[in-house]
Amino acid sequence: MKRFFKALQKYFADFGTAVSKGDIWVKLSLIIMGMGYIGRGQVIKGLIVTALEAGFVLFTKNISWPYISKLNTLGTVQREEVFDPLTMTKTVNDYDNSLLILLMGVLGICVIVAFIFLYIANIKATYRVMLRKKEGKHVNNFREDLRELINDKFHITLLSLPAIGVLFMCVLPIIFMVCIAFTNYDAAHQPPSALFTWVGWKNFLTLIQNKQGSTFGYAFGKILIWTLIWAALATVTTYIGGILLAMLINHQDTKLKKMWRTLFVITIAIPQFVTLLLISKMFGNYGIVNGILQQLHITDFMQEMGWISTSYVPFMTSSGLTHVMIILINIWVGVPYQMLIATGILMNIPSDQLESARIDGANKFQIFWKITMPYMLFITGPSLVTGFIGNINNFNVIYLLTGDYVTTDASLAAANAKDVDLLITWLFKITSESTLKQYYMASVIGIVVFIICATLTLVTYSRMIKGDSEEVFQ
Amino acid sequence: MKAKRVVGSFFRHLLLAILAFIWLIPIVWLFVTSFSTDPGIRTTHFFPEHWTFLNYQKLLFQPDTVANFPAWFKNSMIIGIFTCIISSAFVLMVSYAFSCMRFPARKKLMSFSIILGMFPGVLSMIAIYFVLKMFNLTDSLAGLIVVYSAGSGLGFLICKGFFDTIPASLRESAKIEGASELVVFTRIVIPLSRPMIVYTVINAFLAPWMDFVMAKLMIRSKDPADWTVAIGLYNILQKTLIGQYFSIFCAGGVIVAIPISILFIIMQKFYVEGITGGAVKG
Repeated sequence: MKRFFKALQKYFADFGTAVSKGDIWVKLSLIIMGMGYIGRGQVIKGLIVTALEAGFVLFTKNISWPYISKLNTLGTVQREEVFDPLTMTKTVNDYDNSLLILLMGVLGICVIVAFIFLYIANIKATYRVMLRKKEGKHVNNFREDLRELINDKFHITLLSLPAIGVLFMCVLPIIFMVCIAFTNYDAAHQPPSALFTWVGWKNFLTLIQNKQGSTFGYAFGKILIWTLIWAALATVTTYIGGILLAMLINHQDTKLKKMWRTLFVITIAIPQFVTLLLISKMFGNYGIVNGILQQLHITDFMQEMGWISTSYVPFMTSSGLTHVMIILINIWVGVPYQMLIATGILMNIPSDQLESARIDGANKFQIFWKITMPYMLFITGPSLVTGFIGNINNFNVIYLLTGDYVTTDASLAAANAKDVDLLITWLFKITSESTLKQYYMASVIGIVVFIICATLTLVTYSRMIKGDSEEVFQ
Repeated sequence: MKAKRVVGSFFRHLLLAILAFIWLIPIVWLFVTSFSTDPGIRTTHFFPEHWTFLNYQKLLFQPDTVANFPAWFKNSMIIGIFTCIISSAFVLMVSYAFSCMRFPARKKLMSFSIILGMFPGVLSMIAIYFVLKMFNLTDSLAGLIVVYSAGSGLGFLICKGFFDTIPASLRESAKIEGASELVVFTRIVIPLSRPMIVYTVINAFLAPWMDFVMAKLMIRSKDPADWTVAIGLYNILQKTLIGQYFSIFCAGGVIVAIPISILFIIMQKFYVEGITGGAVKG
């Protein structure tokens, strides 16, 4: 933290020096950004920078400012249509679109922030050019500048496009999502016909409180607990299963290792939306598993014993049993994948360690628990956490398997949730399958999941960086 | 001692065979059902009673108002190819910058990207939907291509791990001879990392084929010709349609699965190498 403030201080101090000690050209570029270059003969660079500045001013003044200025209210003029019976035409007033105001406002602010950074960097750069000139060093002409972009500054060429992509598809959406959580955007406040506005922390309170008429608090508690249980069980079962399977296949006595591996890999090669939908139908109330159980009179037996009250086994339609089935099916989905990862790592276990352990008289279990597992945990520890996060967000398995599930819990149903939903599928259903379309609640849920994932990520990541145990196994 | 080993080996293979059998049941069922004359779900027999190619013929040559497989396949293919080109280029570019170049803030940028990359995109999916809506890109293939490829630069870790293993002396000697970084990148590093490129390319191509949620969110069109394979196949399993289309769904599943499985099995080898290469390097 201290280092961060020091760096910040230095950042502005450098800017101050450049402004105060710079000559007339540096000072001129405070207003017209290209002047600092033009004055030293770098005309084309100067013109490009000036054009950028002009573009920024035009964009902000004409396009984004009208939106930014309305950000505090998100618009006040409701859309109204006036039908003129004389000309038989409809006229629409100059209405505000809250969504567009929010989107363009945020984008506009991002552009302004980016421009400020560019502006400060520009002044510093012109100051550096001035110093070079003073010391009698060579100042690049435009062609040399371009050549630098494929040489010493090649990383700028390489990184700029991917960075723009990441900004638009990762960073910007995250900022939006956070903003929407503080509004009342839903089907009743849907632009362009209606406006939505800021409501403060109200939505967050809705999620944790159990108020009259709202079951979000109840649903949130239930779903959060199931999400965490699911993520823990799904990660641990597939992880251990994958290691055991990999050891079984890679055992020195096993013949046809490649064939076995390929047999299991085929199951992950088929897209999940095919296999998961298929399995959910196989275990459906009138699916083939129930059909065969009936033929074998197992269903009748279970009915007589009073285990089930229906004429079928409700694999995918009853609370409890469905939860178990989902975890079992996830083992089917996840173990081959983990097996592949574990195979790669097992092959790299230093064989001298195994050998020396054997010579010292360790038996198989001791070798497994004292050498293989610590080694695996060391290498795959971080991936265990990413696996946990991945399972918290495992949309496919839950959504595709539980399409036929109907909840009997009225409170959950009122909040558009099912017993088997994860936070992420709940979020999806709120936005695209409910008629209320409570985008603000979806955003709040998104932020909560985000915080859970971010905390886990940061904890592991700082361990990963700090970890001085890197050389232990080398 | 030897007898014990033979018995152990026998049980080991038996166990493997049983596991493989369990793992393959759904796959086999998918395959045999695609040849069934019965259009709905069979509930009594594992294997169909009568076999036919009709499902494939219907799927491929007789698109109707619900199932338009040729269009779905074409859409998914276009998305796959473009995503593949853009994502692979992004991943290679970012990996080279982080692995082979030294510039201020490199470490900070890398940490930032890794942390950002660990956040699943699914989480901010509604926001992504609004961003694309602003640019009028929802309900279009271009929009989906953007969704799949724009953030792909963050997935550089494995590829960077591979680039790290290319000896720096190779690059340096080329630079002494007067080669620019661009030349080093395209003429030396890329040709040397062929296995990594195969892995990256196949991975980037497969991602949109495997994805379901983003496509479902982005494409709201009611016209089947606008859908991708994932949405289309999901749709024909709805309660009202499943009775007539289940076998056709299976046929579609088989057609999609065959090319993907082949690519996947090719990639598997590189996958194992890539993962460990990246993991050990950290």
